[in-house]
Amino acid sequence: MSSGAAYFIRYKITLLCLGVLLSMYSYAQEIPNKQIDEVKVVGFSTEHFMVGLKVQKIDSTTLARFQFQTLADFLQFQSPIALKSYGSGQLTSISFRGTSATHTAVLWNGVNINSPMAGETDFSTVPVLGFDQLSIQYGSAASCVGSGAVGGSILLSSVPQWKQKGVNLTVGGQYGSFDNYNGQTGIRFVKINKKGLQFSGKTLFYGSQYNNHFNETQRTASDGRTYAIQPSETAQKGFIQDLYLKEKNGNLLSLNIWLTDNKLTIQPDVLSFREITQSQAYRFLSGYQFRNSTVKMGFTRDIIDYGTGDFSSPSHSETDRYLVRAEHEFSIKKSDSFWNTSLRMGGEIAYYVARVDGYGGVAITESRQDIFALLRQQFTQKLTVSFNLRQAFSNQYTAPFTPSLGVEYSVISTVKNQIKFSGNIAKSYRLPTLNERYWKVLGNPNIRPESGLNKELGINWKQIVSSTINTSLGINVYHNLIDDWTYWNPDKGYRVENLQQVLTKGVEVSGSVKYLKDKKIAGLSATYAYTNSTQQKMYDVYAVDIIGKQLIYIPLHTLTGTAYIGKGDWSLNVQGFYNSERFITFDHSGRPFPPYFLINSTLSGRISIGKIQSNLLFQVNNLTDTVYPSVRKNAMPGRSFSVGLVFSSEIFQ
Amino acid sequence: MQFNSIIIRSLAAGFLILGLNSCSKTSEPEPSQPYDTGVFVINRGNFSDNNGSITLINPTTKITSFDIFQKENNRAISGGISDYAEVDGKGVILVDNSTPGKDLIEIVNARTFKTVATIPSTDLENPRYVVKAGTNKAYATCWDSFNADYSFKTGYIVVIDLTTNKITKKISVQRGAEKLAVIGNDVYVGSVGGETSISIINTSTDVVSQTVEVGKNPKVIGLDANGKLWIYAGGEFVKFNVLTKAVESRTKITTANTSKSPGSFSFSKDKSSIMYIYSYYDAADGYKQKGETYSFGINDAVISTTKPLISKLFTGLSVDPLTGNIYAGFTPSYKQAGYVFRYQSNGTLIDSLKAEIAPEGFLFK
Repeated sequence: MSSGAAYFIRYKITLLCLGVLLSMYSYAQEIPNKQIDEVKVVGFSTEHFMVGLKVQKIDSTTLARFQFQTLADFLQFQSPIALKSYGSGQLTSISFRGTSATHTAVLWNGVNINSPMAGETDFSTVPVLGFDQLSIQYGSAASCVGSGAVGGSILLSSVPQWKQKGVNLTVGGQYGSFDNYNGQTGIRFVKINKKGLQFSGKTLFYGSQYNNHFNETQRTASDGRTYAIQPSETAQKGFIQDLYLKEKNGNLLSLNIWLTDNKLTIQPDVLSFREITQSQAYRFLSGYQFRNSTVKMGFTRDIIDYGTGDFSSPSHSETDRYLVRAEHEFSIKKSDSFWNTSLRMGGEIAYYVARVDGYGGVAITESRQDIFALLRQQFTQKLTVSFNLRQAFSNQYTAPFTPSLGVEYSVISTVKNQIKFSGNIAKSYRLPTLNERYWKVLGNPNIRPESGLNKELGINWKQIVSSTINTSLGINVYHNLIDDWTYWNPDKGYRVENLQQVLTKGVEVSGSVKYLKDKKIAGLSATYAYTNSTQQKMYDVYAVDIIGKQLIYIPLHTLTGTAYIGKGDWSLNVQGFYNSERFITFDHSGRPFPPYFLINSTLSGRISIGKIQSNLLFQVNNLTDTVYPSVRKNAMPGRSFSVGLVFSSEIFQ
Repeated sequence: MQFNSIIIRSLAAGFLILGLNSCSKTSEPEPSQPYDTGVFVINRGNFSDNNGSITLINPTTKITSFDIFQKENNRAISGGISDYAEVDGKGVILVDNSTPGKDLIEIVNARTFKTVATIPSTDLENPRYVVKAGTNKAYATCWDSFNADYSFKTGYIVVIDLTTNKITKKISVQRGAEKLAVIGNDVYVGSVGGETSISIINTSTDVVSQTVEVGKNPKVIGLDANGKLWIYAGGEFVKFNVLTKAVESRTKITTANTSKSPGSFSFSKDKSSIMYIYSYYDAADGYKQKGETYSFGINDAVISTTKPLISKLFTGLSVDPLTGNIYAGFTPSYKQAGYVFRYQSNGTLIDSLKAEIAPEGFLFK
């Protein structure tokens, strides 16, 4: 490392420490004057520090309704995210606000679970029932969550259900068109002993088998475009174990385990054509929250085996990640005003061991460290500000220093009307993936981390129109410039380089209307997004054909919407999704993928017989039987039906 | 699949009857058709995108029609294109899909580019090159699928009867069967699968009559002005006598850079010289593929690389048999349209025209 870089890092550490010291000092200044209470922090939510960023929380009812889906199918209808699918039950990667798949951080209980090899998550391998809470966070939040949170983050969490009593057993299954099955069984329990020690947990086994017996070899759209159907099968199984032990004083010990196994077979019926990808993940996370400090230790192992024919000699990739994170939060509240300060400081060390055939067979190790200081300051009822700092370290490269500043200001805050302005400016970064650094020949040990600067503004208006109707309207605009964007350069035999600079900018408009009276509910919500994502930098003479053009697979316009109506335990839910044409070449030559529109619908209900609760789910996906292509230009599935039944019952008090 | 092939068979029969009907009515001269003349550019496409296409260039007006199969049939080629050839009024397109078991052959009317028949994927895998091997008969080399360790299986040639649009026979040849050359009643087959022989097939019997050892991975180039067959094999240019079926001479390229290898061989108009692309991956520059285009005379004693014919690297090279102009395909990346550079036979640039993804082959008529 050059002395300049070393100096730079030292400078940044000093700055970080200084920031912390300054804020401490300011508390010290305040203490004598006013009544201040140090507050116990409940729940270590990182979202708390994402002031000025848009965070969309998906409620548990919605998650339950789509419990038999994967995140690949689910996310598409919830938000204007572009998902790139290689086929039904196949690799599905995300493009959030015009960025690439590696620019979305996927966090499970606060830990990034993107594959360290590829730096991304295959959303077709993540079932909706694998977690209890889902938040979609828009924009750069790298200062809060670390590397990769450039376009946005997907936050998955397990949540202990302390209010539940006894032991609850769940057994469920689903059968659908194309001989596709799903099944799950599990228990949830809460036990409180006499000393006030609370014990809560969840055990879940799940599995699915998608045979994809489409009974056709091709599908033809109304415009005459014909796409071949690629025969494929996907078998998925998983195990989840969450355990929580809470002391009377609130200290919490937790253990989360998530094991997954996903096997995709292309051309399952012809041995010589067969292509098998088996991906497995082992995820263990333990944590202890002691007063306002938390220590987390994690281990994840990602395995991918890819082979053809009889799968006798697959290429094997195995990456282990050991993680230790320690955080402390200072939380100070003035009892006589809205003044509220949260300061969280911490650090983490991640250690990687990769045994990947593609890296030349030798085990590769790498260590990465992060330190951060997150400050959220509520000044008045109207004004809240966050100021976050993060610095990642590695002995291999210099990671960008990523500060962020967020502001939320409530203009109107009455019972009937709430209007809030928000703004955020943030630096972001993405550390190189292990593939980018170590892949034989194609990788580049000198690849630099990517860095971005995201700016955004938002306005959010919530209105209670009457005792039965409320509405909301939100508009967000953003401008995100990402530099050193890595590119597997075809001009150099697909070797990876820090070649491009990408500017993504856009607008998101979302609105909702909700009617609620007695046991009747109805509503409508929709989000429109304009996403303009273009390459900015000239790197060879033929880049002229590319510059300023919308990046591939990213639609300029997307629209998602949900309409629902319900009474008592029954509800009907119709979801729509539209995207405009998607280019498949950088220079927009050839024919783009045409725009398409999809509608899914779900009828769900609950019948209780004695202690047994039966949840019924009837789904019709792709209601209009729309013909549209996968990334490989094969046909995606047509209309499908499925029936699901989930029984749950308290089995012990 | 049985049901499906019945449909295809009855469709094919339908087209045949239509075809016969139209033949019986051709007493007056036929009006000219859009694809009667021009340069057909074979764009391989990006493998995983399955977006191969054929571009038609009018060499005089420079008017270009993109993706002519899509234009005439309102459906796309469902894969990359490995080769295209014309056989007695029909065009044979070899389609290579990224999914194993999804390759096929599209047969079109060569003058209108309207689809005539599709030979389904059940009959072939990994088609590579196609040639006319007799009246209404085509040969297409195929690699077959790979073994689990990605090694080549025994290759084969499918014999296509263009009156019925069906495969009538599969002839087993070397592993990794590649380009073929038709000389009289013989078809010479090269390969890339590690074998050292060429196969010679008699087109009247469709049987391999002989295999001849010429050197590793023989690439068949074609017949020169002296009636000799040129092959690049075992790192040497091999001059082959088609009468005695024996190697006449072997010549190595004299070069300072031994990491370079030649490809995309093409004869000049008078078949007295062979041009080729000579390239390597430059480790000092991020393994960028670098190279130039060279030429040598068929009677040259030494094949030297002192001066390139064109100082540029291409993905395909061919010579217009009418004008002698060189057509060279250039691929900036597999995610953007490539260009066709046109040169006079002496290497002087004429112009460049935009084609589609990865222009690799040309057909002149």
